[in-house]
Amino acid sequence: MISVHDLHKHYGQRTVLDGISLSFPERRLTSLIGPNGAGKSTLLLMIGRLLEASAGEVRLAGQPIQRIASNAYARRVATLRQATELNLRLRVEELVEFGRFPYCGGRLHADDHRAVDQAIAFLGLDSLRQRYVDELSGGQRQMALLGMTIAQETDYLLLDEPLNNLDMRHAVQIMRALRRLCDERGCTVLLVVHDINFAASYSDHIVALKAGRVHCAGSVAEVVTETRLRALYELDFAISYSARGPLCNYFNPPRDLS
Amino acid sequence: MIRSHLNWAVALGVLCVLSLLIGARALPWSGLWQGSPEAWLTLTASRLPRLLALLVTGAGLAVCGLILQHIVRNRFVEPATTGGLDAAKLGILLALISLPDAGVGVRMFIALSVCLVSSLLFLALVRRLPAQQTVLVPVIGLMYGGVLSAVAEGYAYRHNLLQSMQGWLLGDFSKVVQGSYEVLYLSVPALLLSYLFAQRFTVVGMGEGIATSLGLNYPASVALGLVLVAVTVSATVISVGAIPFVGLVIPNLIALRHGDNLRRSLPWVALGGAVLLLVCDILGRLLIYPFEVPIGLTAGIVGGALFLGLLLWQRR
Amino acid sequence: MARHAPWALVVLLSGAFVLFGADFDMTYVIPRRLLRLGAMLVGGVCVAWSAITFQTLTGNRLLTPAVMGYEALYLLLQALLVLLLGSAGVVLLGAQGNVLLAASVMFGYSWVLHRWLLREGQHNLYFLLLVGLVLTLLLGSLTQFVQLKISPGEFSLLQGVSQTSFNRVQGAQLLVSALLVGALALLNRNQLNTLDVLALGRDQARSLGVDYPRVLRQQLALIAALVAISTSLLGPTAFMGVLVANLAYRLATSYRHRLTLALGSALAIVVFLIAQLLVEHLFNYKTTVGLLINLLCGGYFLVLLTRQRSHR
Repeated sequence: MISVHDLHKHYGQRTVLDGISLSFPERRLTSLIGPNGAGKSTLLLMIGRLLEASAGEVRLAGQPIQRIASNAYARRVATLRQATELNLRLRVEELVEFGRFPYCGGRLHADDHRAVDQAIAFLGLDSLRQRYVDELSGGQRQMALLGMTIAQETDYLLLDEPLNNLDMRHAVQIMRALRRLCDERGCTVLLVVHDINFAASYSDHIVALKAGRVHCAGSVAEVVTETRLRALYELDFAISYSARGPLCNYFNPPRDLS
Repeated sequence: MIRSHLNWAVALGVLCVLSLLIGARALPWSGLWQGSPEAWLTLTASRLPRLLALLVTGAGLAVCGLILQHIVRNRFVEPATTGGLDAAKLGILLALISLPDAGVGVRMFIALSVCLVSSLLFLALVRRLPAQQTVLVPVIGLMYGGVLSAVAEGYAYRHNLLQSMQGWLLGDFSKVVQGSYEVLYLSVPALLLSYLFAQRFTVVGMGEGIATSLGLNYPASVALGLVLVAVTVSATVISVGAIPFVGLVIPNLIALRHGDNLRRSLPWVALGGAVLLLVCDILGRLLIYPFEVPIGLTAGIVGGALFLGLLLWQRR
Repeated sequence: MARHAPWALVVLLSGAFVLFGADFDMTYVIPRRLLRLGAMLVGGVCVAWSAITFQTLTGNRLLTPAVMGYEALYLLLQALLVLLLGSAGVVLLGAQGNVLLAASVMFGYSWVLHRWLLREGQHNLYFLLLVGLVLTLLLGSLTQFVQLKISPGEFSLLQGVSQTSFNRVQGAQLLVSALLVGALALLNRNQLNTLDVLALGRDQARSLGVDYPRVLRQQLALIAALVAISTSLLGPTAFMGVLVANLAYRLATSYRHRLTLALGSALAIVVFLIAQLLVEHLFNYKTTVGLLINLLCGGYFLVLLTRQRSHR
């Protein structure tokens, strides 16, 4: 289980995270939501060890993550950042093979090839396997990157705005893949997501941050309510429910925002 | 605001007087009062030209940096990081070798043309860079200057001019006397024009899209800016040599306080450039008195230190 | 096929360089040329290796270590040596002494720079580049100042070391350099796969388990060592790394450093050989190898800028 304890992050005078304590349920999909500048990505990147905390600590199964060797950590927790600029001419397959680096240091064995094949099959990327990543569309490239992360075969996956700049179809594909990782492989998935409707439709658990603090956290039913979202985003929400789940409508509020 | 204007004016005045006072030979003030022709000659033929040259050069280079930064849309460019200095050097070399008897006017014209062509080429290169590479513009400019400089060195090598060419590259005011520096005054109209067109350069700094949709003739404004820069840079290199960092540090420091609206910040930039150069010159004259450290070096060290400080401070 | 062509070219051109017009003079001409060839081989490896590694670390294909001010520092050091010791003193110091001194100064420079800039766990390479830019300009001004202070005779001595040239190599120096490069290659053997991962970018490499700060430190130290070896052997090479690295990427059609490093080294050696052959047999020494390489690589650099493929 990943838990964070009184986590702080300051940049000079500016406080980005202001004492966050949380634990993320195992084998569940957790979305981090909140307005811009709430500290969602900062929190996620700290868990992924891509940022250092100013104070407080992150623990994995009770062990502070700074005490775990980078290589060992990479076999347990995989992180995918938003807007990964690749100026490499790589085939999809080669990119996915990088996911095996924590295990084989670049020299792939039979096990590693099996994991690569599985990751590619899991995402249905077979037809793209030999294509160059820089020739793919944004959505396909994001799938390829996700493939690399899946090939890492970790119990925990962290994704920073994986839906950024994707069209609706690719966004749904990515979210379904994450859902399946959780259900079929028992992975714990944490992601930062801006679209409240994706969060509401696919998550088990939601953590809402505002101004560097936890605004509220709990199951979808607990967090996705008109009052809580209104307070979180300072927007007027109308939530309707159908067989496909909740739908949050904030697009055209009847009153002026004040 | 008025107070701060006043403070700066006083500072500039004090620096000017200091600059007049300091020199290898002490200026006999009493001689001035008594109308001693020798004292007056020292003042008018050597000290005063030097002071004027310093003021014009400092203001000119700082404004050049400012205009270039708006045209290239990168805070870290100036004549030294866009190949401008190297192009002027190449131009002078061309003039010296192909037309050895030509006057300073012809040399100026050739240097100016080479400088202009090179900056147009640089701009064309920079505009083709993909967005994620634009942070590299100053580094690329330095390498571009290296290419121009390699051409110049190859040329100079064949004509055995290599060491004397190194001399022009390092700015030095000690040779400025009456009759040898007047070409510098060409940058005065350039300065005035840049103030007149300040508003345009501000808009140019917002990018071609915005500038065009605001009804600005973008290519013409950019061309004007580059011509003004070329005039100042080549006049400076011909008469006193290259001086790095003034155009880089001053606009960045002024922008912290006065923002990027050229109409407002340009006079401050000009003033700041003049003050920085005066300080560097006085330092250079005092450090190993009665000898001089060339201003290219003192400006390099003072400006470089200021710039590093600025970078570190901004990173906090 | 394209992967082996450069090596075939190296063999061919080396043969031409050593034998052309030598009349099989085993006592002087050929041993002298073999020495220069050795310098090209070792220097070529250093140039390509440092440039490709530096480009991987910065994630940018338009850079060489020269932008960090290493070469500017080397030139300043040489100018200072001439100024302080005079030409006689420089001769007395000898090639070995000079190499060791240059290497330790550059190492120290690199250590201070990275120590100072990379503390607090901040690893902003762009910031590092800007500082490198300022230092390059600053060291350049200092060098010019020193150059003005020395006599024309000493200036020509200085000119000899401040341009790429193969003529000042001495046997012992070459041997030491070759051994050093060999040792570094052995030490770095296991890092090649890590470099491949680093090319994915800092964050992705870290999340794949690379101990980024440690690797960055190691690789930057390695680059300092390689640049020190190559500049003291051949003089500064400025853009050459950009040319060699980009040609290597193109020919290798692979991101693997195992391939690009080998190819880049071969290409660097080819460029050296061609420049030397041209200077000797076409230009009759009317130009220098350094100028030719500068022009060639500078020109290619400008072409490369205009051809930058924009992503998306």
